[in-house]
Amino acid sequence: MYNFDLERPTRVADAVKLLSDSVESQPLGGGQTLIPTLKQRLASPDRLVSLGAIDEMKGICQDDSGRLCIGGATTHAAVAADGSYPALSAMASHIGDPAVRNRGTIGGSLANNDPAACYPSAVLASNATVVTNAREIAADDYFEGMFSTALDEGEIITEVKFPVPEKANYQKFLQPASRFALVGVFVAKHSDGVRVAVTGASNNGVFRWSEAEAALSSDFSAGALSDLTVSADDMITDLHGSAAYRAHLVKVLTGRAVSAA
Amino acid sequence: MELSDEKTIAASVETVWTALLDPEVLKASVPGCKELSGSAEEGFQATVVQKVGPVKATFKGDVSLTEMVEPESLTITGAGKGGAAGFAKGGANVRLSEADGQTVLSYDVEAKVGGKLAQLGSRIIDGFAKKMADQFFENFKAQIEGPSDEEASDEDAPEDSDGAAKKSWIKKLVS
Repeated sequence: MYNFDLERPTRVADAVKLLSDSVESQPLGGGQTLIPTLKQRLASPDRLVSLGAIDEMKGICQDDSGRLCIGGATTHAAVAADGSYPALSAMASHIGDPAVRNRGTIGGSLANNDPAACYPSAVLASNATVVTNAREIAADDYFEGMFSTALDEGEIITEVKFPVPEKANYQKFLQPASRFALVGVFVAKHSDGVRVAVTGASNNGVFRWSEAEAALSSDFSAGALSDLTVSADDMITDLHGSAAYRAHLVKVLTGRAVSAA
Repeated sequence: MELSDEKTIAASVETVWTALLDPEVLKASVPGCKELSGSAEEGFQATVVQKVGPVKATFKGDVSLTEMVEPESLTITGAGKGGAAGFAKGGANVRLSEADGQTVLSYDVEAKVGGKLAQLGSRIIDGFAKKMADQFFENFKAQIEGPSDEEASDEDAPEDSDGAAKKSWIKKLVS
């Protein structure tokens, strides 16, 4: 690890200010990806701006339209314990290991947008809104491929607003060593249709499987998927699974999620 | 990791060939390239900064053009060391052919990554290498054709600006 300065602002405005001055700064959420990266000397920012001391970015509540509002610096463990959106809490309770869940934050996971992270699929399937210090971004506009998002340099996720679907379920095919999703599928049945978001499978990160959404919107049963196939083009291939294997898992897990929802 | 693809560029084969050998065009095409010096004959030295998620690495290395058959095909090879991050190496076999007055540029890319980058990032390297290759040839195409496709095909876009951009590049060639 190289030397760096650490700042722990207590207000969002102060953090934004620190991130926009001339020092090369990196925002720090729970540090479950960034700290190991720094230890490997794969990044060397001059300053880390920790978001962990900003109380206004922590906690879970419901807004007037019934959406579940989760502060950007809220840990996975807190989301897992909440329970008012059961499928989301269940998903959060299986991210990484206890250390990851008690340090890692929803905002950090979404800002990083790892192509195999769980949260992006929940946000996309739930049609959630990502709130930053500057604006609100719809889930469909937020994810821009592997490790890239609509966030500008120095923009901070302060809150994520989840509409709670009528039915929802997340199925994760675990990569046992990293505990990331080898493939993960989040299915959410809203009053105006079904959304299916897939993580871990594509080189371009999380995506919506629109054919399955159309089929499930008219018939919400695993059987509705039987005629569909998933193309292996642009799926991830690594030593844990080939592109064809991942494509196959997408369909199997979507079916399981529908049955369990 | 290996991949093949092709792009159609609205320019003559000769123009595309000359652009491939131009350091300014290469510099603007290599994603994250901060510096590039040297010549097509003797090879280029390049500094490239890449950011993937939390990882940010600066690669210093050489780019060389070999197996040149003017104006049909050549091989671009690059190899660089990224300090603690490890090393990256990549090559592309490029072929040019004419079709309806335009140039079809087809390429086969091979990329290798070693060191910590490979150890920690095996699941994303293929996707990333593909994205880089795609960006390189996209940028290259844009360098020759001028502003991006959407702008060029946009009917509101003034003809001149497109033409001017092309001219400016060709001017650079003759100057």
